Amino acid sequence: MTDLADRRGVNTTVYQPAEDSGLLAKAAVSRVSGRVLEVGTGSGWVSEQLVRKTDADVVASDLNPHACRQAAERAAALRQEGERGFQVVRGNLVSPFRDDSFDAVAFNPPYLPADPDAERDDWMETALTGGEDGRAVIDPFLDAVGRVLKPDGEALLLVSSLSGYDDVLDRAEANGFSHEVVVQESYPFETLTVLALK
Amino acid sequence: MKESLMDILCDPLDKSELELEVDERDGDEIIEGRLIGTVTGEVYPIEDGIPNLLPPDMRDD
Repeated sequence: MTDLADRRGVNTTVYQPAEDSGLLAKAAVSRVSGRVLEVGTGSGWVSEQLVRKTDADVVASDLNPHACRQAAERAAALRQEGERGFQVVRGNLVSPFRDDSFDAVAFNPPYLPADPDAERDDWMETALTGGEDGRAVIDPFLDAVGRVLKPDGEALLLVSSLSGYDDVLDRAEANGFSHEVVVQESYPFETLTVLALK
Repeated sequence: MKESLMDILCDPLDKSELELEVDERDGDEIIEGRLIGTVTGEVYPIEDGIPNLLPPDMRDD
C-alpha cells in the first residue's frame, strides 16, 4: 500500500474517536445502566468509556471486520486491567439481536452527505458517509431500533446538522419515538446533538 | 464471545433462535465455533471470539 494516508500512518479502515464520539460518550455515560448496545462501535472507544464509567453490561457491534477486531482488542485490554470488558458482535445495525434485549442503544452513525465526485469504496467511506442526504444509515436504524429496546428503554442517537436535524426528528416521530436533547454542541461546520429517543 | 450472549442473539434473517457449536473455548469465552439458524439453517461463524452475524448477502469474506 502506497496510499498517502497509509504512509503517514493514518488509520484508513477504522474510524477513530473524534468530537462526535466524545459527545455520545458524555451523553451515554450520564444515562445508561443495565444492558447497553453500542451500534457502529468503530474502534470501541465509546464502549470502553461506558465500561469504565457506568455499571452497564456493554455489547458493541459493527459492520466492519477491522472495527470488530480493534474493538475486541480494546475489550481484551480492559479485561487485562481488571475491568469488565465488553462483547463484540459483527452485524448490520440491530438485526442480530432479539426483541426487548436492551435498556439503551447508543449510535454515532455515518452521517456525512456523500460527495459523488469524491466517493471512495472502502471501510472509512462506509464509516463516514450516509448516502446522498446523510441519512442512509440513520433512517433504517430509526425504523429498527424500537424492536430491540425494552419497553422503557431508550436510544441515544448522535445527530449532526449536516444530515438534517428536522428530518431525523420526523423519522423518529414516525416510528413512535418522543425525543429529548441530552447534549448539544456547535462546531464551525456543524452542530452535534445527542437525542434520547423513547 | 461469552456464552451468555446467546440470550440476546438471534438469526438476523428471521429473528429465530440460534444453536451454538463450539470448537475452541478459553474459560467462559468461545473463541472458535459457529451459530446455526434453527429455522433457516444458515451458518454464522465465530472467529477469534467474534460472531459474524451479517446476513449471507452482506458477507464479503
